[in-house]
Amino acid sequence: MRYLTIVAFVTLAFVSCKKEEDDSSSAAFDKGAMLTNLADNTILPALADYQEKVAELKSAFDTFETDASSANFDLLREKWQAAYLAYQTVKMYDFGPFRNYGYKGATGTFPTDTAVVESNISSGTYNLASAGNTVAIGFSALDYLLYNPDAFTRLNEVGYKTYTKDVIYKLSDETTAVVSAWSSYRSTFVSSTGTETTSSFSELVNEFNRDYELAKTAKLGIPIGIQSFGIQLPEYIEAPYSGISLDLLRTNIASIHRLYNGKSHAGSSNGSGFDDYLVHLEKSALNTTINNTFDQIITKIDTFQGTLEEEMQSNPSELEALYNLIQSQVVNLKTDMTSSFGVLITYQDNDGD
Amino acid sequence: MTEISSKWTNYFAFDKQVSITPLIIYRIIFGVLMLFGVSRFLFKGWVQQLYIDPQFYFGYLGFEWVKPLPGNWMYLPFILMLLAAIGITIGYLYRYSAFVFFLCFTYVELLDKSNYLNHYYFVSLMSFLMVLVPANAKFSVDALRNPSIRRDTTSQWHIGILKFQLAVVYIFAGIAKLNSDWLFHAEPLRTWLQAHHTIPFFGQFLQMKETAYLFSWFGCLYDLFIVFFLLTAKTRKFAYLFVVGFHLITWYLFPIGVFPWVMIFSTLIFFSNEFHEKVLTFLKRMLCITQQENVPGGKSSGQTNPLVLIFLVIYMAAQITLPFRYTLYPGDLFWNEEGFRFSWRVMLMHKEGYATFYVKDKATGRTAQIDNTHYLTQTQIDQMSTQPDMILQYARFLKTKYDGRTFSFGEKEITITDPSVHAEVYVSLNGRPSQLFIDRKHDLTTLPYNLSHRNWIEPFTP
Repeated sequence: MRYLTIVAFVTLAFVSCKKEEDDSSSAAFDKGAMLTNLADNTILPALADYQEKVAELKSAFDTFETDASSANFDLLREKWQAAYLAYQTVKMYDFGPFRNYGYKGATGTFPTDTAVVESNISSGTYNLASAGNTVAIGFSALDYLLYNPDAFTRLNEVGYKTYTKDVIYKLSDETTAVVSAWSSYRSTFVSSTGTETTSSFSELVNEFNRDYELAKTAKLGIPIGIQSFGIQLPEYIEAPYSGISLDLLRTNIASIHRLYNGKSHAGSSNGSGFDDYLVHLEKSALNTTINNTFDQIITKIDTFQGTLEEEMQSNPSELEALYNLIQSQVVNLKTDMTSSFGVLITYQDNDGD
Repeated sequence: MTEISSKWTNYFAFDKQVSITPLIIYRIIFGVLMLFGVSRFLFKGWVQQLYIDPQFYFGYLGFEWVKPLPGNWMYLPFILMLLAAIGITIGYLYRYSAFVFFLCFTYVELLDKSNYLNHYYFVSLMSFLMVLVPANAKFSVDALRNPSIRRDTTSQWHIGILKFQLAVVYIFAGIAKLNSDWLFHAEPLRTWLQAHHTIPFFGQFLQMKETAYLFSWFGCLYDLFIVFFLLTAKTRKFAYLFVVGFHLITWYLFPIGVFPWVMIFSTLIFFSNEFHEKVLTFLKRMLCITQQENVPGGKSSGQTNPLVLIFLVIYMAAQITLPFRYTLYPGDLFWNEEGFRFSWRVMLMHKEGYATFYVKDKATGRTAQIDNTHYLTQTQIDQMSTQPDMILQYARFLKTKYDGRTFSFGEKEITITDPSVHAEVYVSLNGRPSQLFIDRKHDLTTLPYNLSHRNWIEPFTP
């Protein structure tokens, strides 16, 4: 027994001596600094930009309401597109204020159910906050309201106009609430660096992955028939009336890429992000693969000239190739990157087996 | 030498009479811990999440007939466990309580291997052993009601078997750590510890690879030898400080639930009779029990049924052999996970996977990619994605979901007959880049689900 004690202690002493000798191991990394960079240079500027675009959408509607000219109608559509694209730069932050307000569901649910929209318009009484109306509000409902063939004429009908206004105002109110909640949430966000599932770092990584998969599945996979034995489902296309689905997909993925690298929202300054964390963890090769794949995806999306609906008719195999490319990145992000971070993905007890 | 050998043979004198007090104290500790553990489980809403919400359960091979109760009836076994834990603690209808606890706990554990944890297996075994021992023969409601069962001594194996079980947990957890990832790459601890680098002051050390090596080696030596230090009177107190320190650190750093507390309190069983007497006196004073139990408690009859003894020997032999059953399989244990469970491989590897399933209509060749979240919970997906037997079970489940079904998509209809199910799975083990784990070429529904080696797992490249 005494022998064992000695063996144990000699070994301990040996290992601890070793520790003192080469203290200059890998350079330190600070998750807190990374979160601060992401909050101040990526997330908050993106939110401010988005909020501004939503405000412009609202004022464009107000302008149109006083003067329903076709120029003002075009402006309204233009502002809607700008806001919808800006939404792609913030939708992956579905935790904290977003989650508290149920913001992502109320804003980005698609496809819209035009039957519900129409029945709301004709009845004139509706509660847009009800669960049943999730499919009749947000950007997707506006895609229908502003881009269906009769949109311009029907916007002169009182019921139609009021409904459009209510959807835009609801969106605007909630956006203001969520963005202002973020300014006080910021300090929680940057300080919650733990490994538990509720830490903001874990939530950020999990929602990053979830949003990437959502872009892959909902924006592309389901419409092109990946889950339906190759039978295309055009009714699941996002923004079918305006035809901007592929732009939305592109902005969504480009924003996820930006977040990954910790790049600032506006400029190109590159701060601390997931990429730097991976490099610190001696995973440079993975980082290169991830960045290259993101670039390839964007390049591939840019090869499509038509709308998603048109490309589904004329070019289905290339869309499937795009899908496969996006799919190939999931394992890099969800498995390799996330497991390197030591982020927990389960709420259960775990003894690591 | 002779002294040592006689000491060792002493351990096998099953019916040698020893003080019963350590057993009594252990009964109380076990009961309270279980009461706490089950309450915590209920409080966290896990009954709903793990045993009511799922559409599909990953049963154990040979135990697929164990099914969850419908809906909220799943709360019943947990309520029974609470009552049984109280029964164990106060020693009321003790054997029934212990048996009900064992039955309910094991039933719940058998429902879904996604929830397998070594410490749940440990609780199942311990509660089973508790059924066998007369832990109510003193300081219990049963003994109060029926003084004739009262004993001051008991057969040595009644306590020895519990010590044996604890020793098995530690020593095999230590043996499991004797692998190159653990010792020479300090993985998975290196990955896990660096994630804590933001802890004030200590965090900076957790980011250093030297710390990961220190933790790995210390953890391994601790597991291998702590039991021997606890068994030796001279080193016991010192060793117990290590027990407390070790488990508190693991409790702080890792989400391993009640396990640290179970071990911290269970290892008290290694302490001396005098220690346990003091605890008992303290408990009596706390409960204001003035009535002395010094009325001659009587000695145990001291004769254990030979059948029970034979069973014990088989039980112990099984406990010692089971963790080595993996040697019957070719390939890498951590990769293939053949003979991995029930072997005390605790906090040993960091395995993450990504599994994409495809259902293919053989007649038309049309393929659908499956959204796993339609059928499985997040926990189930995470567990399934790295474990071949679960991948196979899920594939079979998918076949039943699609076979013969007609799906209509808008105007179009498609009827699936006798589909094949394929999976493309990538797995990352202990910080390595992910590798192909299951190739899409296999029709998983044609592969056998049994204990033989699964040669359809892609080979592991270290």
